[in-house]
Amino acid sequence: MRHVPNVATGCRARIPRVIPEWVSTRNRSNWLRAAAAVVAVSVASAASGADPASSTPKLPTAPVVRKPLPAGTAEKLKSGDPERIAAALDDVRLAGKGAARLTGEITGLLDRGLTASLAEAALAALAEVEAPVSTPSIVSYLSHRDAKVRTAAAKALARTKGTAAVVALRRALSDSEPGVRGAAASGLGALRAREAVGDLAVALDHRVVEAAEPIGQLCNADECNDFLGRLGRLPFDLMESGLEPILFRPNAEVSEDTKANVIGRVRELKTNEAHKFLQEIQKRWPAGASPRLKTLVDQAVTATNRASGS
Amino acid sequence: MHFAYKTRSRFAGALVALSVASAGGACGGALTKSDLFSSEWSADRGEGVASVRQRLAGTRAAPGVDVAVGVAVNGERIVGVLLDSGARWSFAHPLDARPVIAGQVVVGSGGGEIFCLDGRTGNKLWTRPTGGLPLIGAGDDGHFTVITLGRSGGARGSTLLAIERGGDVKRQIETDKDVGVPAVVAGLAFIPWSRQYVSVFDIIAGDELARILLREQVSRAWTQGGDVYFGENSVYRFDERIKDATLERASRIRLPARELPGSPVLLPPIEERPKLVSDARDRVRVYVRPSTNAVNGANATSATPQEGWLVVANSRFYASYFRIIMGFDSSRGGLSWVYTHPLDVIGAAAAEDGLLVCDEKGKVTFLSARQGDPLGDRDLGEPVKSCAVQVDALAVRGGRPPQPVSLAEELAEALRVPDAELATGKRLLVREIATLDDEVATKALVDVMGDPSLSPFVADDVRTALAARRKGARYMLAALERHYDFLKNILKPPPVGPIAQSFAAMNDPSAAPLLAGHLLDPVTPEQDVQEAARALTTLAGPAEVPALKQFFVLNYASASTAPMKSAVVSIGQVLLKHGGKDGRAAVDRAVASKMTGEDLRGKLRELYEAAGVAPPPR
Repeated sequence: MRHVPNVATGCRARIPRVIPEWVSTRNRSNWLRAAAAVVAVSVASAASGADPASSTPKLPTAPVVRKPLPAGTAEKLKSGDPERIAAALDDVRLAGKGAARLTGEITGLLDRGLTASLAEAALAALAEVEAPVSTPSIVSYLSHRDAKVRTAAAKALARTKGTAAVVALRRALSDSEPGVRGAAASGLGALRAREAVGDLAVALDHRVVEAAEPIGQLCNADECNDFLGRLGRLPFDLMESGLEPILFRPNAEVSEDTKANVIGRVRELKTNEAHKFLQEIQKRWPAGASPRLKTLVDQAVTATNRASGS
Repeated sequence: MHFAYKTRSRFAGALVALSVASAGGACGGALTKSDLFSSEWSADRGEGVASVRQRLAGTRAAPGVDVAVGVAVNGERIVGVLLDSGARWSFAHPLDARPVIAGQVVVGSGGGEIFCLDGRTGNKLWTRPTGGLPLIGAGDDGHFTVITLGRSGGARGSTLLAIERGGDVKRQIETDKDVGVPAVVAGLAFIPWSRQYVSVFDIIAGDELARILLREQVSRAWTQGGDVYFGENSVYRFDERIKDATLERASRIRLPARELPGSPVLLPPIEERPKLVSDARDRVRVYVRPSTNAVNGANATSATPQEGWLVVANSRFYASYFRIIMGFDSSRGGLSWVYTHPLDVIGAAAAEDGLLVCDEKGKVTFLSARQGDPLGDRDLGEPVKSCAVQVDALAVRGGRPPQPVSLAEELAEALRVPDAELATGKRLLVREIATLDDEVATKALVDVMGDPSLSPFVADDVRTALAARRKGARYMLAALERHYDFLKNILKPPPVGPIAQSFAAMNDPSAAPLLAGHLLDPVTPEQDVQEAARALTTLAGPAEVPALKQFFVLNYASASTAPMKSAVVSIGQVLLKHGGKDGRAAVDRAVASKMTGEDLRGKLRELYEAAGVAPPPR
C-alpha cells in the first residue's frame, strides 16, 4: 500500500499498489481511473479548509466505478453455471448498493457452497453491496481453508458491519495468515470497534502492521498512552501509522495533553525517522489548530534535527 | 552423599595345580622380539589357564583409583577429580590423545612422549619417548604399567612396553599384530590381540603363560573388583570357566539384543581410537558393570545364578544418547528408567550401584542403578573437551531420597528436551512410551506433539502411538480444546487425526464436538481433517450437524486433494445419517452441483445406496 500525503488535512489517501485479484480484466482500467479519482477527491476536500480533525476521508479499499445492474443478473446467479455466476457477481460488484436486492441470492450461493474463486468473488460483491444482512453468511467463510477466501471475507465484514462482524474480525486477528490478520485489523478500524483496541494492541505486539492505524483512530487516553509505551520497543515504522491519527483526532476524543505526550515521546527518540515524522506533522499542521501543540511540534522538529544529525 | 569402599567378600575359586605350558620363544631382557603372538600356538586343554590361576591363587587385582579425568579446553592440561573425596588435581602437558586411566595411574601422550601420572594426585611418575607412536591403552597393577602403542599412519603392528614405577622399561615387545588394551595383575599382563586372543604374559620372565581363544571379538582387558575382564561386544571374566571359552562356556555377560538409539557399542574397537576431543561415539555408548553374584546357591532357583557367578551389577545396563541416559533391565532389555541430563554426556562408567556420567562442563554425576536418580556429583572444576571415568571399589549411598516418578513422566521429560539432535533417541522413547498402559503416557505423547521443534520423524511416531492409545482420554480431550491462535502464541494445532482415531477405536463420542470444531479450523492439516472426518462417521450425532454441514458446504466444491475429498465424503455420510432434511439437502445439492468434481460426485452418490435412500436424479 502506498501512502499519498494530503498536505492540507495531514491525512493520507491510500492507493493500493496492486489491483485486487477479484477485479476482472475488463474492469481493470476502470478501477485504476476510479482510484485516481478518489485520491483527487480526497485532496480537493482537504484543500477546501475542512476541519482536519474530522475529515478523515473514508476511502474504499477498492474503488469501483458504479454501473447499473444489468438485466438478467438474478437469473445468472441462479443458473448454477459457474461462469455465468462469476459474470453476475462481477456485475453486482460494479453495481454496489444498487444490487442490494440480490443480497439474498448471493448469500444463498455462499450458504449452499461455491468454489474458492467464486466464493472470493461473492464476498467481494457483498462487500460492495454493504448489506448488513449478509454478515452471518460471510462470517462462516472466515473458516474456509483458502486464505484468499478468508481475506475476502474479512474485507467484506468491514463493509457489511454489525456486531457479528466485529466479533468475527476480532477472532480473525488470530488467523494463521498475515493477510487475514491485516484485513481483520483494518476492518476493526473501519468499523470503529472501540472494544477491539486491546486485541489490536496485542496484534501490534505480534507485528500485525495494520493494527497501529486503528489503534490510533480508536484509542482512549489510557489506550493511547499504552500504545505510546511501545515507542522504542517496537520499530518506529510499525507505530507511525498509529501516531498520526492520534494527533489529528478532535480534542473531544483525544486531549491536548495526550497529543503533547505523543509529540514528546517521539521527540525523545531523537532518531532520523522521528525527525522526518515530526517534519511531516509540522508541514501538515492545520492553521488555527492548537498553538501550544504547534509550538511543541516546532520545538520537537528542531530538537530531533540536531539530535539525529539531519 | 558419602562415598565409601565396599568390603569384598568373594574369593578366587580353588585351583587345580597344572603344569605351566611355556610360550615358545619368549625371551628375557628389556627387548622382547619374539613369537609371543605367533599363530603356532597349539591348544593345551586349559593347562596354561590353570597354571595362571594357580599362580594368582589368592591374589586379586590391585584396586584401581576411582577418578574422572578430562582434557582441559586448551588441550594442554589434564584435570582430575577423585570420586571419593572430590579432591582435584591438574597436570599440564601437550596432549595428542585422550588420557587413559589404568588401575592406579593415568597415562597420557603428547609432545613425542608418553607420561604416567599418579591417579590420586596427578603427580608425574615417569615419561618415555615414543617417537610419535600413538597410545592405544594401558594396564597397571601398582608395580608395572603395560602400555600398548600403535603404528603411525594406521599401519598394522604394535609395541608393548612394560614400565616399572620408577620409569624403567622392563620389557619392550614389538609385533606385527594389532594388540589391544592390556590388563595387569601381579606381574602378569593380559594382552588381547588380533581381536580374538588374550595372551597371559609374564612380564619378568618374558613367557607367554597361557593363551585364550575367544569366539567373539576381544580388544580390551581391564581389572575391576579384583578380577580380570576382557571383551568388546561381550564381557568375559578370567575365572575357572575361561578355559572353555572356545566351547562358549566361559563366564560371559552378553547384553540382550534390543533397539538402542544410534547403535551404540559396549566397548569400541581399538581401531576407533578415542579422539582428544569427544565426539558422537562418546555420547552414544552402552555401559555395564560386571559383578559377582552373592546369592547363596542353595537358596537359588534353577534360573538364579549361583554364588560366585558372573552377573550384571544391579541387573542394569545403561545407554547414553547425548543428554538422555537410559537404564535397562539386563535380563530382558526392558527400559527401566530415563534420566535427562542438562548437557551431553561425554564419558561414563558403571559402578556397582549405578552410573557415573561426565559432561562437557566437567561435572560428574552419580545416577542410581535402581531409578536413575542423581544422588550426588563431583566437579572437575572446569569445562573439558573429553572425559574418562574409572570406578572400581567406590560405592555411593545417601543423597536425596528418590522421589517416585513414573517411567512415563521420565520419558515425557526426555521428550520435552528441545534438541533436534536427539531425534533418533526420541523415536526410541516414543516407542517405549507407547508400550506403557498409563494415562500419563498419553499426556506425554500429547505434550510432545506441541513441541514446535519436534522432528517430523519423531512426530510421525508420536502420531502412530497416540492413535493406538486407549487410556488418557481426558488428556486428549484437553488437547482438542486447543486451537491455533496467533495472538496467544499457540502456533501448532493439536494432533487431531491420531486423537480422532483413538476415540473412534474406543467408540467414545465425547470428542465429537471438538473434532467437528477442528474440521472448521483452517490450520488443521488435511491428513488430520481426513482422519477426524472418518472418526466422526461413527462418533458424531445430531448435535454436530450444524458444524459438519458448514464444513461440507465450504469444501465440497473446492476440495481438490484426496484427503479433503475423503473428508467431504465422510461428512456427507454423517449428514445423510443425522442431518435430517437440511443435511440431506446439502448433500443433494453437492451431488447436483456443476462445481462438484466428478470423482467426488460419484463417491457421494454411493453414500445414498449405503444409507438406503434414493439419490437425487442425475
